[in-house]
Amino acid sequence: MGKINLTVLTPDRVLISGLEADSLVLPAYGGELGVLPGHAPLVAQLKEGILKYKSGGKEEFLSVFWGFAYIEKDKAVILTEMAEMLKEISEERARQEYQRAKDAINMKGADLDLDSAQASLKKAVVRMKLAEIRKNKNI
Amino acid sequence: MASLRDIRKHIKSIKSIKQITYAMKMVAAARIKKAQSSMLSARPYAFEMEKAINMLRCEMAEDDFKNSSSYKFFETSNPSGDIGLVLVTSDKGLCGAFNASIIKKSISFIKSAEGKKIHIITVGKKGRDFLRRIKNANLNFYYEIFGIFPKVNYTHSNLIAENLIKMYSEKKLSKVYFIYNEFKSMISQELKEEVFLPLNLRFESAKKHTGRISDFYFEPSKEKLLEGLIERYIKSQIYRMLLESQAAELSARMNAMENASKNAGELIDGLTLKMNKTRQAMITTELNEIVSGAGALEE
Repeated sequence: MGKINLTVLTPDRVLISGLEADSLVLPAYGGELGVLPGHAPLVAQLKEGILKYKSGGKEEFLSVFWGFAYIEKDKAVILTEMAEMLKEISEERARQEYQRAKDAINMKGADLDLDSAQASLKKAVVRMKLAEIRKNKNI
Repeated sequence: MASLRDIRKHIKSIKSIKQITYAMKMVAAARIKKAQSSMLSARPYAFEMEKAINMLRCEMAEDDFKNSSSYKFFETSNPSGDIGLVLVTSDKGLCGAFNASIIKKSISFIKSAEGKKIHIITVGKKGRDFLRRIKNANLNFYYEIFGIFPKVNYTHSNLIAENLIKMYSEKKLSKVYFIYNEFKSMISQELKEEVFLPLNLRFESAKKHTGRISDFYFEPSKEKLLEGLIERYIKSQIYRMLLESQAAELSARMNAMENASKNAGELIDGLTLKMNKTRQAMITTELNEIVSGAGALEE
């Protein structure tokens, strides 16, 4: 079976460059989207969520926050505004962030920026989920 | 002729100036490495983004493309409208001709606008302060941001892009120009004046809709995708521009400060020579006096 050549890019860094993966799961706009080698050409918008990929029998996780996936001829390019590797996530920070965003929304202060509060809430949820996965898998 | 004390004082002050310029050079040299590497790591993203937009544009039927909400970014709806300008300068001076050349360019730009109103977004203090002082020109300061160098990050370009998009659609601009310094190498910067919006000038080389129906799947629709992509494309381009300007500023400062240190060193050498000569002359006169005094006693 072939491999998928995976590249993950953010505006300020190259997270993964040309990694040979066996399969991917993308957090696409309409729901999770699995990609195996030989996938049809695809352009998809991504929302915040977890990007899973399998490489060499090991399952790896990444958080991505909005972006695009571009798949053509077993080559997958992910362009995202922000992404983090699993090891970069701090559970404690995510929890605090979650609490802050929740408080901001509940308080409904005069200068509440609802969009940004909700965005950071979503981000925190993704990070917490990833921290959970890390705990369960002990990696 | 200057007294010995005056010369010593002069030397001391030049030495302390040299210390400062040398330190500034070292700081710029240390930062430029980082600026360069962040410039390099931003490149792949911008490149892939451009590719994706090109592809999407080729995939879209001409009519769909013209009716989509992103079309306004490709072709202006108001060709005789006002123009926009994004000016990127530094916050601080002491970087040679970096700001001066940009300011010179922007003067000729304003002159060539011929009565059209110019809506301006300034990045960095130097450009803002200068443009504020210009009288009897038809300028409107739409947005300004400063204090971002040398730690530019993506949120800054987010802010600028949002304001740029707002300005472009609100004021129905015909064109938006960018004036900034591009990083060429450690020793040279290139002044750039380019048309940023409408985008069709940038994508002109792209092949037009080929008419073939490709086997790409799109999720969600092409129009939605393009809409999202365009905004991010603008952001990534602005980000690239900021990083270029940041690296260019640092390299300009490094060179200016290196030259300043060198000149200070030469001045010190010259003054030291002068000081030694003066001292020698003093000693000679003194000796002369002693000798002639002793001679007078002998007689």
